[in-house]
Amino acid sequence: MDGVGRVPGTAGAGGGDASADAAFTALLEDSERELYENAPCGHLSTLMDGTVAKINQTLLGWLGLTRDQVVGRMRFSDLLTVGGRLYHETHFAPLLRMRGEISGIALELRTAHGDRLPCLVTSVIKYGGADEPLLIRTTVFDARERRAYEEELLRGRQAAERAQRDAEEAQRQAEEAQRQAEQDRSRLKEALAALQQSLLPSTLPEVPGMEAASYYHTASPDRLGGDFYDLFPLDGKRWAFFLGDVCGKGPQAAAMTSLTRYTLRAAALHDPDPAVALTTLNTVLNERYSGGDPRYCTAIFGVLEPGDDGRTVTVRLASGGHPPALVIGGGRADPVPTTGGLLVGVLPDAHFAEAATTLEPGQTLLLYTDGLTEARIGPGRERFGDDALRDFAAGLTAASAGHVVTALTGLLEGFGDGLDDDTALLALGVPGSGAATDEDTP
Amino acid sequence: MTPFAITVHASEAGPVLRIAGDLDFNTASGLREEVRRVPLDPGRLLILDLTDLTFCDSSGISALIAARNRAVAAGAGIALAAVPPNTARILGIVGLDKVFPIHPDAATAAKTHETP
Repeated sequence: MDGVGRVPGTAGAGGGDASADAAFTALLEDSERELYENAPCGHLSTLMDGTVAKINQTLLGWLGLTRDQVVGRMRFSDLLTVGGRLYHETHFAPLLRMRGEISGIALELRTAHGDRLPCLVTSVIKYGGADEPLLIRTTVFDARERRAYEEELLRGRQAAERAQRDAEEAQRQAEEAQRQAEQDRSRLKEALAALQQSLLPSTLPEVPGMEAASYYHTASPDRLGGDFYDLFPLDGKRWAFFLGDVCGKGPQAAAMTSLTRYTLRAAALHDPDPAVALTTLNTVLNERYSGGDPRYCTAIFGVLEPGDDGRTVTVRLASGGHPPALVIGGGRADPVPTTGGLLVGVLPDAHFAEAATTLEPGQTLLLYTDGLTEARIGPGRERFGDDALRDFAAGLTAASAGHVVTALTGLLEGFGDGLDDDTALLALGVPGSGAATDEDTP
Repeated sequence: MTPFAITVHASEAGPVLRIAGDLDFNTASGLREEVRRVPLDPGRLLILDLTDLTFCDSSGISALIAARNRAVAAGAGIALAAVPPNTARILGIVGLDKVFPIHPDAATAAKTHETP
């Protein structure tokens, strides 16, 4: 640069070089006093009691005070805010006296306009020849920018903490809601289970000379099933049974199941003819559920009567739209043909299919709902089907009612989630002569 | 698996609802809805074309009966067309083969209908 090394003339001379010359002159004339007064930080010196003895122009400028207002009249702590003064008296001054110096302390000055001026303060004690403290020299740095930055950081942290608190609160509320929902669900489940139990016999009665077994699978514990069955005495000699499936699911289906069950029981006691019992049910359902939302059920109703020979049992059946019952035993499984009976409740005048068969010792009558045959199996998810059921039942080596239900229960469990509908099984068997003798012989 | 769908078109005898896919618990309400919506005047014939029906369970049967009730209430007739064998077997088991007139296809159903 041109100006370096050149000996300047008098201030203001030199034409085009005037400003450079002026700067150079100013530099030379920059005395220690000038530096003290206009340093880029505040300087002040106080007596040991804090009375300001000397203060530079920079600090006076920040404070908006004149030298006359301050020197000899105010103490350092008078320049501070109330909070700053408190901190000065309790921490700053004692530490300074103890250590002889203290640096980088954040304090707030109070300006003549009442504004707060955040600053960083460093103080050193000047000692005399006999180590007695003479005065305190203090440097004050403007910390407004820095304080703003710190406040920004603090605000950011507070915002983050608030966000975290909000998130925690939201999570707590969600957990509470979930807990409540689970509680509600469990209560509902209990109510549904109790209601479901009222639709089925809790245990099957003992029928002399016969063995009875049943199974009930609910596709979803949250949805009331529409399958039903029952077995009950008609008089000293005969027993009635039924099994069926009401259309639909849920509370409405359950209400209809309840109506169906008690209607059939009452009808059977009045007139035990199977077709008459179904006709009575048909009339009740058709009157109750006529209209745009038709409801109906499929059902097989039957009456068991021990034969005069004391070995066999005669079964008379009527079916309304239900898959035929199977007679299982001796390596066979034959349907008792009841095709053509109409769904119960659909039309005011319905025809029901009737059939009769005789169960020999070792034979079991199986009634089932279509959840069994419509289960989706295998990789292609095809339906299990009636033929597969017949093959399975014919292949059973032990055909007692208990064995049949146990074997089918195992089969159903093997279907896994392919069993997507409710399924009811009712098996009524005449114990085989051998088995009966074994059981009867001590 | 055929996705469930119902398409509606007109024949000379009346509206034809062609049902494709499984008619079961999940889809039966769709048929009921369509049956409620379709215009049906007295003396007309509502034809349910089951050519593409892949499966029909008890809920599906229920929807078929609802369709019949709707037709009867409107003073119209109802017919099933092109019933697949497995559904025909179920209709036989539940006795509905004697309740619904059944035709080999929708055109035959429309032709045999006598306009009053």
